[in-house]
Amino acid sequence: MRPPENGRYDAIVIGGGHNGLVCAAYLARGGLRTLLLERRGRVGGAVATSELAPGVRVPLLAHSVGRLRPSVMRNLRLDAHRLRLVAPEVRSVALRPDGPPITLWSDAQRTAAELTIESPRDAAVYTGFDRQSRAFSGLLARLMAMTPPDPSRPGVADGLSALRLGLGYRGLGMQDGRAFLRVLSMPIADHLEDWFEGDALRAALTWRGVRYSAMGPRDAGSSQTFLADTAGSSDGAAGETVFARGGPGALAAALAAAGAAAGLTIRTGATVEAVRTRGDRADGVVLSDGQEIAAALVVSGLDPKRTLLRLLDPALLGPQLGWQAGNLRLKGSVAKVNLALAELPRFSDFADSDEARRRLRGRIVMAPSMAFIDRAADAVKAGRVAEPPVLEATIPSLVDPSLVDEGAPARHVMSILVQGTPYHRREGDWDADRESLGDGVMAQLEAVAPGIGAQVVARQVLTPLDLERDHGLTEGHPLHGEPSLDQWFAWRPLLGFASYRLPVEGLYLCGSGAHPGGGVTGWPGQNAARQVLADWKRRSRWR
Amino acid sequence: MGRSWDAIVIGGGHNGLVSAAYLARAGLSTLVLEKRHILGGASVTEEIVPGFRFSVASYVVSLLRPEIIRDLQLPRHGLEILPLDGTFTPLDGDYLWRTNDHAQTMRELRRWSATDAEAYEEYGLLMVEMARFIKPILSAVPPDTIRPDPRDLLPLGGLARTFAGLPRRQETAFIQLMTMSSSDFLDQWFETDPLKATMAASGIIGTFLGVRSPGTAYVLLHHYMGEIDGAFRAWGIPRGGTGGVSESIASAARAYGATIRTEAPVARINVRDGRATGVTLESGEEIGARVILSSADAHQTFLRMLEPETLDPAFTDEVRRYRFRGSSGKVNLALDGLPEFTCLPGSGEHLRGAISFSPGIDYMEEAYIDAKEGRFSRRPYTDVIIPTLVDPSIAPPGKHVMSCFVQYAPYHLAEGTWDDTQREAFGDAVIDVIAERAPNIRELIVGRQVLTPLDIEKTFSLTEGNIFQGELSLEQLFFNRPVPGHARFRTPIRDLWLCGSAVHPGGGIMGAPGRIAALQVLRSRRMAA
Repeated sequence: MRPPENGRYDAIVIGGGHNGLVCAAYLARGGLRTLLLERRGRVGGAVATSELAPGVRVPLLAHSVGRLRPSVMRNLRLDAHRLRLVAPEVRSVALRPDGPPITLWSDAQRTAAELTIESPRDAAVYTGFDRQSRAFSGLLARLMAMTPPDPSRPGVADGLSALRLGLGYRGLGMQDGRAFLRVLSMPIADHLEDWFEGDALRAALTWRGVRYSAMGPRDAGSSQTFLADTAGSSDGAAGETVFARGGPGALAAALAAAGAAAGLTIRTGATVEAVRTRGDRADGVVLSDGQEIAAALVVSGLDPKRTLLRLLDPALLGPQLGWQAGNLRLKGSVAKVNLALAELPRFSDFADSDEARRRLRGRIVMAPSMAFIDRAADAVKAGRVAEPPVLEATIPSLVDPSLVDEGAPARHVMSILVQGTPYHRREGDWDADRESLGDGVMAQLEAVAPGIGAQVVARQVLTPLDLERDHGLTEGHPLHGEPSLDQWFAWRPLLGFASYRLPVEGLYLCGSGAHPGGGVTGWPGQNAARQVLADWKRRSRWR
Repeated sequence: MGRSWDAIVIGGGHNGLVSAAYLARAGLSTLVLEKRHILGGASVTEEIVPGFRFSVASYVVSLLRPEIIRDLQLPRHGLEILPLDGTFTPLDGDYLWRTNDHAQTMRELRRWSATDAEAYEEYGLLMVEMARFIKPILSAVPPDTIRPDPRDLLPLGGLARTFAGLPRRQETAFIQLMTMSSSDFLDQWFETDPLKATMAASGIIGTFLGVRSPGTAYVLLHHYMGEIDGAFRAWGIPRGGTGGVSESIASAARAYGATIRTEAPVARINVRDGRATGVTLESGEEIGARVILSSADAHQTFLRMLEPETLDPAFTDEVRRYRFRGSSGKVNLALDGLPEFTCLPGSGEHLRGAISFSPGIDYMEEAYIDAKEGRFSRRPYTDVIIPTLVDPSIAPPGKHVMSCFVQYAPYHLAEGTWDDTQREAFGDAVIDVIAERAPNIRELIVGRQVLTPLDIEKTFSLTEGNIFQGELSLEQLFFNRPVPGHARFRTPIRDLWLCGSAVHPGGGIMGAPGRIAALQVLRSRRMAA
């Protein structure tokens, strides 16, 4: 589709992160002349591959893409745009100093069988837990797929959604139904204590409930995040670990290609300075070079705080909403360390065998106990860097050798998520502490994989401040907002504006700050596009 | 078998007595059985040190329902609640002092932060509105979430409509209160650390949660609920100690014809064909009744007083899963005089209200982290009142009683048990914290009583020493309290009901569970008739 002759688009999407791409592609597919504007030189946002050394590629931020909605994959025909996913059988392996690692396999039976050595009791109930997690996540997925209602102005569509939800709830049956309402608001630590006695197993599962957030295992709402992490897929209790061949950037490329095939125009290197409004409606954007582009609708893929406070005239928002937007909670607490390694590191927990190495293909979680994760969260809440933080490493080159070229200086890459590094610190600043953060992580790794330091060919450290400055994540929060119960469903990002429509007519939100939240799912983008297209249709009918 | 009663109420705590009074008022022959020699449960006054009468456990009346005061005519039975004026937070060389005198509080807050003073007013107005909205929930019967009875949904539907009619700002505040931590909630409004810490403290009382734990914001509302019930003086110190509340309810119950027996511990609830038929006392005496109401907590009732085979194992599992987690202790001091605070010397008005040792959010959270690690807080949060300044009758002339509510003291210790050594070490930690700000305290102490969670469990039959008969966490409220599907005061055993803090709306000297349970029992009898 050529750019419109009068220079006016039907829709402009701000930000080419994966949700912006998904939303824009759907809009273009729906027949809207759509322009996507990305500040950086590439699209993809947090879904990106970076070349750490010549011929050595590593997941820059997000390392897995397994939560991507199957319907996005299907609708946008991402396989035709050369997206290939690879999933190891092992989902995660949790290391600990005082015993053999806990391995969570995609096959719950296999996980259970291995747990027998540790605790026959835990082994016996694991498959039951897996089943219940799937049932709960299935119901949660229905909630996540809908446009949240506005409790003040419930409409007919909301009534139908509630009915569908109600039927889904009844489908759980008496026992699960009652448990669901209890578990949803529970701390994940308590939920897991109800099921299992092994602390290491509990910690391995807990990690899925608090990853990327400032919540601790004893905080209400972390069971909800645990279940949401599984919703929309068939992964059950172990969760997903799925890599895009060639790195996460391949997903961004496929989404961009799918968009282009549907007629989407993408401009990179275009920084949006403000949303232009006429009267009280959005009617285009102003770029940092002063250029103005007109559009009937504007959709923001940026986080809600940035969108509301930086792109809009404060007078439009008013003092009350301005105050609420300023109080959105998105205190980032993660950092990232990426390594190019000359050889595969040797983990002292594993024998040097092919069989043992297979276990390294999933997420390697260094959160040996519930208290360990809790302490890291306590540090974040107090504005201190956790000592030590929780680490989650992947070695994607084990699953996808194409990440490393023949003859490159490295044979493997390691992508490490570091959690326990608050953006808001009482003392110290991240520019000064970037390398010491990297050194601390290396020391932690050295303890479980002796000699790893000597294998490092190249290292990249991204602090929470880098995530904000270089990747547009306000306060370094990868989820565009805490996934806590106070920023959930019909009140994500704010009560009354969870239907993807922001307080300014014609302005929408399609990123992780909208329902159902963050992660590489494409879910908010897909839901937002559905809402935008429905509104568009209604508008055209009136014109 | 002894005489058969219409109703037996197990436990003579304030909720049990409220239930009994309502049942007797409706004409049921009602018997209350109390284990101890004294009535009141945790709402009790006892002379621990000769001449000094202590509100041993519960120390203020929080939200005693005005309808109960009215229905049972409690003032006629001696209930008198004296106002508790203000909150004083001593600090290093400074203090934060809020009183019931609005202008004075504003001046004080402005001294700390002009924006906080401004926000405080706005915040207060919003909270009063919220309290007005929430209050009806305290009298509602939670619905069954799987097989809802339309009659119970009606009031909830009304609530949903009221909610939809609220201004957006209040709707948002409601959701935040139900889901946020008190610290995060207050961060939106205030910057003064001691102010936030002192306000947040009310959100953690009696729970095993910290000021940064989601779910603690809700309790901030309770203070404002007291305010709207202000005409009834629902928040304050009962004359004669908290035992005065229990005594007045007991007196009302007796006036309606209820019989109350002390030193009558129930060993077992007798069940025949799935139906409760009476109780057996520890003495072996059997007493029959058509309906039994237990004001004991869910563990005591289901796991101790019932034969295991009378209950479905799935239900028993749910009861076991219910969390108690005692987290608080109590230090009661008999004093020779008044403490003198370094930051504000003299025995002025600041001693007449609550004295809160809550200098900052970090301090509060550190106290919680100690508890999570399985030890009592090395520097605990302490809420102190000196009731003798308001009600001198409870101590010899010139002498004082000091009540220190302390958090955290976890029931389960990581090392050791709550023996005498630990108890005294815990007591010392509390005195140390007070002495830091009021150094003369040590010389004044003529008697001291330290209650650990284990002591609270043993003395008041509160499992794990939880003062609310079960953790007030989000998943244990409303239709999940105490067990999902059994939150409607009925139990799986026919004619056995719960009427204590174990059921909606939970703990505190509120009386609401006792009242709603009694009304439910009466309704079911009318329906059966």
